[in-house]
Amino acid sequence: MIFAFIILSLILSISVFFSKNTVVNYIALSIFSLSLITISIYSYLHIDQVDSLYFKFDSLGVLMMSVLSLISIPSFYHSHLYNKRKLDNNNKKSLYYAALIMFITAMTSAYFTVNFALLWVSIEATSLFVSILIFHSRTKNAMEATWKYLFISSVGLAIAFIGILFLSIVASENGVTDLNFTNLINAAQNMDTVWVKVAFVLMLTGFSVKISIFPLYAVAIDAKTMVASPVNALMSTALVNVGFVGIYRIFVIVSKTSALEWAQHILMIVGIISIFITAIQLTRVKRIKRLLAFSSMEHMGLVVIGLAVGGIGYYAAILHLIFHSLVKAGLFFQLGSIRNFFKCIWIKDTGNYFKINPLGAIAFILGIISILAIPPSGLFVSELMIFKALFAAKYYFIAIFVLILLSVIIYTISKRTFHLLYSDVSEDQVNEEIKSNTYETISQFVLFGLVIYLGINPPVFFTDLINSAIAILN
Amino acid sequence: MTYLFIILYAITLIYFALSERVKKFVYLLSVQGFILFGIVFFSLHKIEIFDFIFILLETILVKSIVVPLFLNKIRKHNKLKREHEPSVPVFYSIIVVVISLIISFLLSNNLNSNQIHTKYFTVAFASILFGVYFIIIHKNIFSHVVGYLIIENGTFLLSLAVGSTMPMMVNLAILLDVLMGVLVLGVFINHIGDTFKSIEIDQLTKLKD
Repeated sequence: MIFAFIILSLILSISVFFSKNTVVNYIALSIFSLSLITISIYSYLHIDQVDSLYFKFDSLGVLMMSVLSLISIPSFYHSHLYNKRKLDNNNKKSLYYAALIMFITAMTSAYFTVNFALLWVSIEATSLFVSILIFHSRTKNAMEATWKYLFISSVGLAIAFIGILFLSIVASENGVTDLNFTNLINAAQNMDTVWVKVAFVLMLTGFSVKISIFPLYAVAIDAKTMVASPVNALMSTALVNVGFVGIYRIFVIVSKTSALEWAQHILMIVGIISIFITAIQLTRVKRIKRLLAFSSMEHMGLVVIGLAVGGIGYYAAILHLIFHSLVKAGLFFQLGSIRNFFKCIWIKDTGNYFKINPLGAIAFILGIISILAIPPSGLFVSELMIFKALFAAKYYFIAIFVLILLSVIIYTISKRTFHLLYSDVSEDQVNEEIKSNTYETISQFVLFGLVIYLGINPPVFFTDLINSAIAILN
Repeated sequence: MTYLFIILYAITLIYFALSERVKKFVYLLSVQGFILFGIVFFSLHKIEIFDFIFILLETILVKSIVVPLFLNKIRKHNKLKREHEPSVPVFYSIIVVVISLIISFLLSNNLNSNQIHTKYFTVAFASILFGVYFIIIHKNIFSHVVGYLIIENGTFLLSLAVGSTMPMMVNLAILLDVLMGVLVLGVFINHIGDTFKSIEIDQLTKLKD
């Protein structure tokens, strides 16, 4: 099934790229959206079954895939609006949609693969396709961001590949030659912990470009500052989840060895440093996109801390990841429309958004409340669980320190966003002729509503999926 | 015979540290490709014939012909003749490459795992260390790609050292990814060269708040 899906998306992408015709673009995107929905449902119905030799529909993959489909489809609509406003020529549009299709396909492959080498291949492919999307606006800044992202993520992934090779040393010592996750987990108990530790650190470093946490976060932040909002909605959510899946796969193997506690300490340090850097960097941020990019880094820091604490923290980490994806995607969709009303990208030159576009402003403020984890947001539930786990594991000082950092972050983000919503703005900074589009806010209300619903009253199949994704760790 | 090629590979690393001309970097990469071909040809006999032919083609076609030719084209497009002001004198670079060789030699002798072929491991690890160093000391983005390729050659040797045999499909996918990566990086070098009129890394510092 996955193999057929990859072939289909390849055909769609190539036909979009060469036809350079708007009608072909929309037909291809419709077919692709349908195939995304199909693969999400199919994977749920065939859970824990091996597919196309190198893929398996495990619970984590199914969850991530559903999130990806849920975000991708509105992202196509917002991409259409974005391209219409930019008045780009057909060549650029076709390249944009072709790269977008392949980017989503590469992420799908990364979620479901059971082989470390193929996971690496898929993640490398995401960097290549997303770099085309970052470069879309063809400005000097976009070029700089693309270069840095592509180069550093290539080097980072080369480091991760060295980690995979080290893992293959201990694997072959224990008779596993195919780098298959299931076989590696089964053989993990007898592995030499030194090599497992080295592999873990190298892979954590390499995949940190994708999940955008310390150490290689900087290029991801720069790229997210420059990329178009509909792509950003995927890059700050689904691509971040790809990084998490990579780290989670190696973490599961480490958890079966005696190096578990050591790995959790490393994750804890990485998480705290990430949140600390966010708290400092946010005070200097001058663009809303950068603000949201750093906010992703903060949330991923919390997710990693969830993994580091263990127990209820595992559940909270995955719940937090899903909620963050839905909320952040909605915020970026709204940001695409905000960008349209103002002539400038700087926060200081924007303001009074509540008067200019009331419906959009309501969506935006709802999104900000959700991302700051203020009730009734689902993120409040997951953050509460993470702190509960921290206190239960007697990490009192860390919990208090992180809470102080979060207060700083909440203060800075609210200060910046309230400037956009309420402060005065000179009239020459506003695009007067733009009319607000009611349909544009639907996707945000759906996504934010879903997060509130899933936080307050999660359906049984949803909690079951998360529980079976983390069952191997407990 | 394998030892001869491994020593030759170590010598290319020292040559990288010695040379200042960008043209020489491209030649050296091509030479490294041929040396890797030799290592594979004389040492990998036990694997399946199709895998063997695939890896031979990978080294001879991609690593020693296609990629260097492509890099040469980029070099001409951007009119690169000489490395501009390397930030570290050549003398220190040679010391660094020698130290990295010694470190990896000592390290590989201390690894008591019978899964690792120590002879490849030494030069593979040194190549990765030197690749990172090469990226750090050079100021233009063309040399950064050369550094990345040195790291890639190091990981190729490392995969021989750990004797990992991946399925054909996966091998092909890895090769395609790396090749695509180099091609896209190359295209971006040209774009940056045309837009910024220079490919010095100092130009790329506008993106911050």
